[in-house]
Amino acid sequence: MLLRRLFSTLIDMVLVPFLAILIMWVTGVLEHAEDFAAYRPVITALLLGIVSYLILNAWLLWQRGQTIGKALLGISIVLAVDGGKVSIWRLICIRALFFPLLYLTVIPWFMLIPLLDHVLIFGKNQRCLHDYVSGTKVIYQ
Amino acid sequence: MKIPPLLIVILALNFTLLAQQSIAADCESTRKKPGLSTFYSDGWGIEKTNTRFQNQAKTSLSAANVSQLKLKWVYGFSTHQPRSFPLVTEDTLFIADGENLLALDRETGCVRWQYSGKGDIGTAIVHRIIEDQVNLYFSDRMNGVIAVNALDGQQLWHETPGDNPIPMYSGTPLVDGESIYVPLSSMEIALVMNPLYGCCTTSGGMASLNSETGEFNWYIRSVPELPHKTGSHFLFVEEYGPSGAPVWGTPTLDKKRSTLYFGTGQNYSRPASDTSDSIFAVNTKDGSTRWIHQFTKGDAYNMACNLGEDHVNCPRPMGPDVDFGAPPILATMKNGEGILIAGQKSGDVHAMNPATGELIWQTMGIGRGGALGGIHWGMAVNPDRELLFVPISDVFTGPLTGEGDGQPGLFALDLNNGAIRWQQVRKPRHDELACAGRNCAAGLSAAITATSDLVFTSSLDGFIEALDASDGAVLWSFDTWRDFSAVNNILTNGGSFDSHGPMVADDLLIISSGYGTFGQKGGNALLVFQLQGEGL
Repeated sequence: MLLRRLFSTLIDMVLVPFLAILIMWVTGVLEHAEDFAAYRPVITALLLGIVSYLILNAWLLWQRGQTIGKALLGISIVLAVDGGKVSIWRLICIRALFFPLLYLTVIPWFMLIPLLDHVLIFGKNQRCLHDYVSGTKVIYQ
Repeated sequence: MKIPPLLIVILALNFTLLAQQSIAADCESTRKKPGLSTFYSDGWGIEKTNTRFQNQAKTSLSAANVSQLKLKWVYGFSTHQPRSFPLVTEDTLFIADGENLLALDRETGCVRWQYSGKGDIGTAIVHRIIEDQVNLYFSDRMNGVIAVNALDGQQLWHETPGDNPIPMYSGTPLVDGESIYVPLSSMEIALVMNPLYGCCTTSGGMASLNSETGEFNWYIRSVPELPHKTGSHFLFVEEYGPSGAPVWGTPTLDKKRSTLYFGTGQNYSRPASDTSDSIFAVNTKDGSTRWIHQFTKGDAYNMACNLGEDHVNCPRPMGPDVDFGAPPILATMKNGEGILIAGQKSGDVHAMNPATGELIWQTMGIGRGGALGGIHWGMAVNPDRELLFVPISDVFTGPLTGEGDGQPGLFALDLNNGAIRWQQVRKPRHDELACAGRNCAAGLSAAITATSDLVFTSSLDGFIEALDASDGAVLWSFDTWRDFSAVNNILTNGGSFDSHGPMVADDLLIISSGYGTFGQKGGNALLVFQLQGEGL
């Protein structure tokens, strides 16, 4: 079960930058010289990452209770209290803040932050810190 | 008596600390204010005409004594890609180290003051005396042109002229009275390696600012026509042209004609313009064009081609990438007429009438040429001997290498007609087996410097040499491809020579060794040589 959650997360981690590049390619927001002036490429790349993340995680989770990674591995997110649909504000304002931390796993010492989030998964309820904070839980199909 | 090993280690550490403290103490006594009475150059080209000729009044180095040159001190840069050319005064040497501008004591190499910038300072340091103040000027490769007070390194102004959103300031600014002229190239040449980038819209250019305040005077594009859409790839990525024609080198001043000359590079995308690989002559007052002479038509290349000629952003056909990296030289022929000489990466030398741009003579194919020269960073003129010295790189650059055998070395041409008077072709100093630890290329990519009877060259394989101006005989040679002990106690090594080349002042020879670009060996050694018996 835990492996399914791990692999679904890994799939989503890869899909976010992939979608960001796709959006960049189609919209041309990082295509010309003026897009690379001063700090613009950093800001644009950041915005692309946020938009891609919100599409793949917040919007899809809100609509289907599943990201692409979770759908492929057959798991869903529901409200912990009643198994209901998770509201969009809860996904964006609370849960969404945790996902970018996963990318810190490639930086020594900073990797402790996502590890702290995920170490709770070995508890009785198999819920990560972000599950507790956002009031969600994972169900397996 | 047996001394415990631990005691030996402690004693050794103490002696080391003491030694370091003594060096630091020497530097602590260094006067912070530099002497600003005598300057040994007036721009990247020693003179504003870019002759790279140091006259006898400013150097005592000669064919008779050059063999007595000995290493005086070494300063270890923080960067292994030093790109700066020093400005020397009676007691100080101003030179950049990465993002920092340093004022070094000429005798000891100790730091008088340091200006900390934002990016990589990649030009010569130039100056202007304004009443009782001396301003220093230089360009940060990404962040524009900067003026500081020579007395203490305090920043006076900082400007980013031009219309290019991603400019590169690789050429040294030229200061003439109230005006400072700033050459511009573009980072777009490298951005194109991203296949999702839509190549290309930027142009090289030349800007004029007020040297006292940094206020804008004028700016011209080296590709006057604005880019238009020329196609697309991967469905959505739009392509544009014409573009490019960067101005890599410092401009050349013709006071008599109120004219500024500069060379341009190739186009980044097609269609090619009529102004790439050209020499421009513009009015110093307003930048209006006096004449433009294009020497290679249809040259388009960018760094996407380095990833493969089939790269979506590589212009087709590709190359030949034979821009003018070396600034033009303004000199006088024996008939008293002016002559403007431009050396191209193709290995060709073109001499023009400075008033009209019409050809006076051409000497084609000195060496085979290529994307890194041929003639790369700069030639020199000895006006007394009426000789033009042409350094040839001829390093192999894959499909952008010219045809035939390489002729890396130094060529002396008659200033009046371009005839080759002598040549000193360099051979790799090591056999093929030894090349693994050594650059096999022995060419002269870096700019050179001439004196009344010498020519100082520095090679890609790490040698600095003094050649007899009369016949090219090597009178003195020093191998810098090694480690050095630096006055500032950091690990210091030499490497390949490229870019700005040697500077001579009084009895000193000054040069930065190491250039970690284009596959060359990096290094961080600022080397100062002095005639033996004088100050050692």
